[in-house]
Amino acid sequence: MRLDLAEFPVSRIVLGNKFQYQSGTLEVDAETLARDLLKDPRIREAKVAVAYPGEKVRITGIRDVVEPRVKTQGSGQVFPGVLGPVAPVGEGTTHRLSGMAVVATAEFEGAVRAGTGVQRSAVLDMWGAGAEISRYGSLVNLVLILRLAGGLPDLEAHLAVQKAELHAARRLAEVTLGKEPQKVETYDLARKNRDLPTVVLIQGCLTESHQFHSGVAYYGLSIRDSLATFAHPNELLDGAVTVNTTRGIGYFPNTWDWQNHALAMELYRRHGKELNFAGVALERVRFETYHGKEVTAHNAAHLAKTLGADGAVVTWLGSGNAFVDVMLTLRACEQRGIKTVLVTYEYGGKDGVDSPLLYYVPEAQAVVSTGSRDRWVELPAPEKVIGPYEEIRVLNYPGAPLTPASGPLTFDARDMVIGGVDNWGRQSWTCRAY
Amino acid sequence: MAIISAMYPIAEQVGASRIVKAVSIPHPCGDPSLPSEVDARLRREIVETALKAIHAEVKQPTLFYPNISATV
Repeated sequence: MRLDLAEFPVSRIVLGNKFQYQSGTLEVDAETLARDLLKDPRIREAKVAVAYPGEKVRITGIRDVVEPRVKTQGSGQVFPGVLGPVAPVGEGTTHRLSGMAVVATAEFEGAVRAGTGVQRSAVLDMWGAGAEISRYGSLVNLVLILRLAGGLPDLEAHLAVQKAELHAARRLAEVTLGKEPQKVETYDLARKNRDLPTVVLIQGCLTESHQFHSGVAYYGLSIRDSLATFAHPNELLDGAVTVNTTRGIGYFPNTWDWQNHALAMELYRRHGKELNFAGVALERVRFETYHGKEVTAHNAAHLAKTLGADGAVVTWLGSGNAFVDVMLTLRACEQRGIKTVLVTYEYGGKDGVDSPLLYYVPEAQAVVSTGSRDRWVELPAPEKVIGPYEEIRVLNYPGAPLTPASGPLTFDARDMVIGGVDNWGRQSWTCRAY
Repeated sequence: MAIISAMYPIAEQVGASRIVKAVSIPHPCGDPSLPSEVDARLRREIVETALKAIHAEVKQPTLFYPNISATV
């Protein structure tokens, strides 16, 4: 399975009256795009705005972030099973608009009012401390501002937002059809060097089997009480993994992150040079019994062994007890002679002196921290607010007070910023010991 | 004191003295998927195990297992 990813960098977005791309400038026919989105009766209002890095802009009501892509050769189309039929992807040629993202924002009050499924403040600042902690703060963002029809069930709201953002993302990428890319990168697992060790990426996925969308979907199908399954990294590049688009929680990756999976991309960069990348094991975590956690751990390790792994990069998404499954996975791999490294964010409390991890096993000897999720962040007042909400809930319990989005904000955890938790080590954090 | 926990290895790791193995995270003291009379026996067994645990002399984190098979 060989995929050529053709890159068309975007440094400027102009809202004009046609769709076109020329030397880094993307022109978007905002009126036509909004009209297209309004064909869905579940969407009653659609607007488009642009936010640049460095602007004193705060975006509110964010539900997902996605990179514009379109397939020009090979079977299937981007976002299979969501935008189009379930057809195999990962082969041929895919065009991408790099350096930019479509940020889907929507006004919608979900039926889930508490717990991990509840929607969050979901803001992104394009300047200052907020931009610095989020991987999306350095992108040129095309913001879709949606208002949904009243009384929509959560699943319908999710489907409406997701269809809108993915349609927009594909439509934008279509401006590159027939154009010469700035760069083409080839992704092919088959080109191996037999003298190098084989490495598998084990991606722990907290999924909530009881929710209308579990949080991680493969070809549009929510992963629920599944055991580990194999995914080709090229499938990620073509948008085969998608997310719940109603919550906006900073410690869950967005669609953009699956398309640009930092660890999968880095393993690919070293493929055939330092190691042989053997693919991705999607491992469902957050089983509700210890027995379940042990079984999923052994099953994921078994899959890695079957793929010929000498080593495994283990990472996860989510929070809470799902981390036990992740630690048991490290142990199960080491017991099979697979060397492991864990990539995870840590807790540690606001001063960094609390326990950084919920649970550990002695086999977890190599751990890479992607930073603390618990540090406070002070966000100064913006000059402009983009998005469906002028007021936001900083805390998400039922009846929590509203705070003006146009004022300064204090967050006691980074997961309140979209992209605020660096799940897979995309950002260049450094660490200092005192 | 005793703790009834489905995540008993975590309780062990933080040094809880008496730990009773629970059924699952959302339902530590029972299993609503069982017929109600079986669930009632299970719930009773877990609570009785916890009461026994409280009386036991322990020197380190100690696990107590409810006899779950006896209730089915």
